[in-house]
Amino acid sequence: MTLKTTSALLIGLLTFGLAGSLSFAQPAATNNYVTREEYEKLLKEVQGLQTQLKAAEEKRAEPSAETEQVLDEMEKKLKEVKSLASAVQPGLTKPLITGYAFAGYTDAHDEVSSINAGFNPIFLWKQGERLFFEGELEVEFEEGEVEVALEYAHASYVLNDYITLGAGKFLAPNNYFMERLHPAWINKLPDKPILMDGDTRLQAHTQLGLQVRGAAPLGPAKVGYALYVSPGPSIRTSGASAGTLRFNNFEVNNNKAFGGRVGFFPIPQLEIGYGFEVAEVGNAGSAFAEVGAVSHALDLNYVRDSRLLHGTVDLRSQIVWLSIDNPNVAPLNFQNDRVGGYVQLAYRPSQIDVPILKNLEAVARFDWLDLPAGAPNNEYTERWTVGLDYWLGASTVLKAAYEFGNREELDAFLLQVAMGF
Amino acid sequence: MKLIRHANQMKLLLPLLGLLALGAPGCQTTNPPVATQPSATVAESKTSAKGGAQLWGDNCMRCHNVRPPSSYSDAEWDVAMHHMRIRANLTVEEHKKILEFLKSAN
Repeated sequence: MTLKTTSALLIGLLTFGLAGSLSFAQPAATNNYVTREEYEKLLKEVQGLQTQLKAAEEKRAEPSAETEQVLDEMEKKLKEVKSLASAVQPGLTKPLITGYAFAGYTDAHDEVSSINAGFNPIFLWKQGERLFFEGELEVEFEEGEVEVALEYAHASYVLNDYITLGAGKFLAPNNYFMERLHPAWINKLPDKPILMDGDTRLQAHTQLGLQVRGAAPLGPAKVGYALYVSPGPSIRTSGASAGTLRFNNFEVNNNKAFGGRVGFFPIPQLEIGYGFEVAEVGNAGSAFAEVGAVSHALDLNYVRDSRLLHGTVDLRSQIVWLSIDNPNVAPLNFQNDRVGGYVQLAYRPSQIDVPILKNLEAVARFDWLDLPAGAPNNEYTERWTVGLDYWLGASTVLKAAYEFGNREELDAFLLQVAMGF
Repeated sequence: MKLIRHANQMKLLLPLLGLLALGAPGCQTTNPPVATQPSATVAESKTSAKGGAQLWGDNCMRCHNVRPPSSYSDAEWDVAMHHMRIRANLTVEEHKKILEFLKSAN
């Protein structure tokens, strides 16, 4: 006999003894017994209650016709809502419309003051996970005329994690300012640096052709790249702008320009980039057919939100060297090397808890353009711009700036309001 | 003359680069900027998207002020972020994490 069995027997005997002693202690209760008749009656009542309970449970499990109707209506409504939601979602048929708008005032030295305004809607279509289209219109009112232009229209295809192919008209990848910073709600000053504007500019704003671009992590750092082929610029061969490049994406010869940019991010806040372009710029069949042009660009962009400085520091710079062949044919028979650049520093005390101060941003820019000695209108230009911005929101800004330089005609006062949407 | 001009330009550039070099180790990053940051509780409660929040600040602020997640719906962010992946050369990981953060904080 095991210990367990012995314990069980002992517990049973003790229980029996305890029950017996209790019943012995109680007085006799002869009226507490149930008769057979009473037992049968109670049994019937219990069985009846069980039947009623089962019926109630079955009834509850089965939806009524009314409930089914309500459910059907809800399902229909849900389908309608889903349909409406998919109709307004940007995607296959509906583009996402974003963009920016601006209005400005310029009071330049010895010139009549002028007002300009622009509206740049951007249309974005996402066709699945790989195919994408983006287009931007530029509608601008300046000097009494409304100009409408196609800023870019670009289709791209994500080939894999590191390569995206693109075709169409796109912002020039070798020109960091134009590709990333030129929209009025992003540019912290009302105008562009000298080397980006006018006939004497050194780089294109846009390219028309094919591009391949992407990015990849490089250890703790990162690298981004973009390469393109396009018709490239052409050279002006007469007048006051002789020797400058015309960046209108118009084919003047069968040679294509090749260019690109590589950006390196040693730390997340810093990007250092190198851009280049190689092109044949002379009209086919002309005396300048063999003229080539090579440009190199270095850019540095550093943006940091700093607790130490209680705000955001934003440093930008870009320097471009453009070298155009000397054809030894007048009027282009001079050493045609051009260089220009800009350095811009902005500070916004965004961490100071005073609403007016935290929305103010001070900006200073130095830009210059050095033209070749033999070129017409070859004046060296050096300009300073100081500005103050007030941010009404993340993408709405009021700007005021004053410009002065090494010539009186560079003096100007500018105002602008810009909004990204 | 040109050499003198270029030397002057370099004189201007060098202090700025020096400022950059000094600022890099001396500053502490607190992205995104306070003025445009969504409520801290939103960002903090979405711990799964913490990496995305940091990447959102780092990458977007490189060109412009960060737009709050509420600027667009989830479907619109899908499109806008694809646009930025191409334009700003974002890596796949950056694109994915930023998009996840924007949707979780929306």
